[in-house]
Amino acid sequence: MTDAPDRPADAETGTDLPAGPADSDAETDPRTDGGLPAMDGAVPTRDPGAFSQLATALGRPLVVGTVLVTVVFLILPVLATFAASFAHEWAGVLPTFVRDGEFLTLVNWRQALGLTQTDLGAQRGLGGFWTVFGVPIPVTIGFSMLLALGGVVINLLVGVPIAYAVTRYDFYGRGWLNTFAVLPVVPGIILGVAFLKTYSDLPSAVGLMIGYSLLKAPYMVLAVQSSFESMDLRQLEESARSLGASWPRTFLTVVVPNAKTGIVAGAIVCWTLAAAEFNFSYIVYSSGPKPFSLFLFENISNNPFLQAAAAISVYFAIVVVVTALLQAVGQRGFALGGVR
Amino acid sequence: MSTLDEGPLVARLRTGTEALLSPTTETDRERRRIAALALPFVALAVFGAVVPLVVMFRISVAEEYLTATAGVQFDAWVTLLASILAFVPGVGSAVDADPVYGEVIWNSLWFGAVTTVASVALGIVIAHALEKYDLPGEGLLVTLISFPISLPGIVAAFMMIVWFGKTGLLTNVFVWLGGEASLFPAVTSNEVKLTGRPSGTTIAVFGLFLGYLYSMVPRATFLLRGAYAEVNTDAEAAARALGATPWQTFRYVTLPQIRPGIVGAVILTFRTALAIFGTVLVLKALSVVTFRFDQILKVGYDLPTASALAGLFFFFTVGFTFLSLRFTSAEVTG
Amino acid sequence: MPERVTLDGVTKRFGDTLAVDDVSVTVEPGETLGLVGPSGCGKTTTLRTVAGFETPSEGAVEFGGQEVTNAPPEARDVGLVFQSYALFDNMTVRENVEFGLKMRSLPKVERAERATDLLELLDIGELADRDPTTLSGGQQQRVGLARALAIEPRVLLLDEPMTGLDAKLKSRLQREIGSLLEDLDVTALYVTHDQAEAMVMCDRIAVMNDGTIEQVGTPDEVYERPANDFVADFVGTSNRLAATARDGRLDFGHATAPAPNGDDGEVTVVVRPEAFELGGGPFSATVRERFYLGEHVRAVAELPDGESLTLRFDPTEAPAAGEEVSLALDTDRVHVLPEP
Repeated sequence: MTDAPDRPADAETGTDLPAGPADSDAETDPRTDGGLPAMDGAVPTRDPGAFSQLATALGRPLVVGTVLVTVVFLILPVLATFAASFAHEWAGVLPTFVRDGEFLTLVNWRQALGLTQTDLGAQRGLGGFWTVFGVPIPVTIGFSMLLALGGVVINLLVGVPIAYAVTRYDFYGRGWLNTFAVLPVVPGIILGVAFLKTYSDLPSAVGLMIGYSLLKAPYMVLAVQSSFESMDLRQLEESARSLGASWPRTFLTVVVPNAKTGIVAGAIVCWTLAAAEFNFSYIVYSSGPKPFSLFLFENISNNPFLQAAAAISVYFAIVVVVTALLQAVGQRGFALGGVR
Repeated sequence: MSTLDEGPLVARLRTGTEALLSPTTETDRERRRIAALALPFVALAVFGAVVPLVVMFRISVAEEYLTATAGVQFDAWVTLLASILAFVPGVGSAVDADPVYGEVIWNSLWFGAVTTVASVALGIVIAHALEKYDLPGEGLLVTLISFPISLPGIVAAFMMIVWFGKTGLLTNVFVWLGGEASLFPAVTSNEVKLTGRPSGTTIAVFGLFLGYLYSMVPRATFLLRGAYAEVNTDAEAAARALGATPWQTFRYVTLPQIRPGIVGAVILTFRTALAIFGTVLVLKALSVVTFRFDQILKVGYDLPTASALAGLFFFFTVGFTFLSLRFTSAEVTG
Repeated sequence: MPERVTLDGVTKRFGDTLAVDDVSVTVEPGETLGLVGPSGCGKTTTLRTVAGFETPSEGAVEFGGQEVTNAPPEARDVGLVFQSYALFDNMTVRENVEFGLKMRSLPKVERAERATDLLELLDIGELADRDPTTLSGGQQQRVGLARALAIEPRVLLLDEPMTGLDAKLKSRLQREIGSLLEDLDVTALYVTHDQAEAMVMCDRIAVMNDGTIEQVGTPDEVYERPANDFVADFVGTSNRLAATARDGRLDFGHATAPAPNGDDGEVTVVVRPEAFELGGGPFSATVRERFYLGEHVRAVAELPDGESLTLRFDPTEAPAAGEEVSLALDTDRVHVLPEP
């Protein structure tokens, strides 16, 4: 199957061109039988037509313009939100950044993070603090990070093997298994209700972790798969095994380390997406520390605009850090292989 | 029945299981490996998704569901289907039912289709620019365009409020132009209240449309970028050398090559659109299936009807996905 | 220690396709056997059966009289060298070479010693601490070979090891590795589609076609006395002419020549291009095409009955296109196949 196509070559020189027609039916030189069309200038000169000419002239500016408008549409509100989170007020055209000689303010952040003792947000939204090395971490945020981490661990255990199975081996039902692994089957909100009704006794935290891992598994599988696809998995596995490594050992010491960029990128992306998963959390959460996305939702729906801006900016900050991490492992942003 | 006359299927299962548990040949060992690799995923999918969905389906046809599931009845499905029929123009007037479910399903479908077409069209343009033009700062562009993929729908909705809310970036422009003050009349200040029915006004629906695009355009772009990466650039160069303009090259050489990728992107983006919930929950411009599902549970906790709606949604997406993958040239994996 | 490798009636089916059909062949201890044939002839599948990655549908594989048909690859002590090198990118060159020894729990010091020796032997000692991805193709292939040899394999399997290399490097490596295999006294199975390469590298050659072995023999046996039409066509360039053998002579219709061996009847005469000599008859032919190849001139000539002949001349005496030439036949270099 790996045989490269070739023609029998000359024994002494290794030259296989031009291998003479050793068999019978050798055609005579086609150049002599005069069957070719004459180069007599019968082909008219090029005429692209008016639309095509217009497209040539305007196409590129239009395309580039569309890209720029889209980028502005996507990114400007992010920057505005971040900037506004430091503003005193936003009542006019622009947020008020300077008031009473004070340039910018951290009051929105303090309120969003519940650092202001009198603020309701502390009790309502964040559920107190954990102190890690003297740094107060709002329980909501810290807990969400841990839940997301749990989801990622499940994802690793589930996603790396399945990605390997469907990339490396050929077996009955492989196509469907692959489709199931890379396409989320149901929206988080429906899965949430079904899950809650089925496992009503399961603690929220466990349910959330399982839900995160299920809903974000496609990202892990895709990331790992794209790493696997860039390797010659079969020959890699076979050379390790011919050298005496058992299959499990081959998998752990040769295959997985070789795919570490995809695995790391997949883990980072899954973690971030799980930390902010809303639809499933919205349904399944019942008790215990509140998932981060619900904290965001409360801020968006109940709190003053600038405080919501600060709360969302917390997440932006996380995404920016994560993007930098992804960059470090050679991945550009959240654009994994094929994003679902 | 004695063990001697066990059927051929049972015998095959037996030898198959034996080979799986204690394989003797490399072929059998490979099968065991595949099974071991697939097992964690299958276990998670069964525990986390298959069992709950079956339970939910069971509830949709149960007489009793609050404490234990018991009995069989089809009231919820009848209500749902009658409602769909009642919504169908022409037939509808003859059916004595509230067309509300028909309406939300129709909303999900048309709104999903419109946003999908817009997102994929924009995605083609952006993927084309990223792949074919030598844009300055291309890496940064990719990072920026992929940024919204990390944002949950509720944040996408907030971004729309930043653009079009009471003091939104564009609202001020509209006011200056003498137009509507805000795209979201339901959103009175820059705060959103969790009350009220969807406003459904044209302007609010347009705002929701942009909110959907905010989430969908980046996804569509990167799906299409995968298709673009596989385009045979030599064929494009040959077309240019033969005298084709850039547009003609795109129309006759590039487009046919990325067509499977486009079909795949349409399928996946449409699925994304159907599943969006957070954005609608915050912006409340249109009642779609996911939104209605939440409302049914919040108001009156009508679990059978919600389950039937979820079942319908599930069958539709699974059927749609598999049929479209089966009968189109779509490229979705790899 | 070199061992005899025996394939006994090995058959491999993939679904309905018969990839290997009843192959029986023995690789003698210390010998290099070339397995050559066109793409898809089953040679790679045969090699993978010896390595243990494919289970034969029928038949057995033995190493030194011990049956290994169902033994897992990691228990066979086979050294594998691939076309794509299949080096472990997550390890240095040295770690690659030591990998098999590590699997055998050899103490660290001994491992290092052996690796150093092998790297020296293959003339890549200075690359020991490099990352394999930074090496050239030729260097990577040397690492691949060192890694396979490190475990002192019972049989060394090489699957198109030179195919990715450029012509010059290829011929140098062929000579070097050929003599290395000779000196090391290792049993080797060498799969290639390039019969010229097999002739340089191998002690004996097995020509495969359509899953079966057509002929096994030394390079000159296979070249000079091909067993059938396929071998004659695949190995080197050959002219196959229809003739009638009668009374110790071959009658070509337009010419006759003494027959080298016995049986009368309709035969196919295999004539290598170099068996024809300019001048003296009894053949006459018209040169139709002429290719200057530096070391020699290849010409395609037409016989009176319309058949084509591939000929080979010294550049100084080569006829021009269109010229009518008289050709003598060196009957010692002619091989007669009975009509199938």
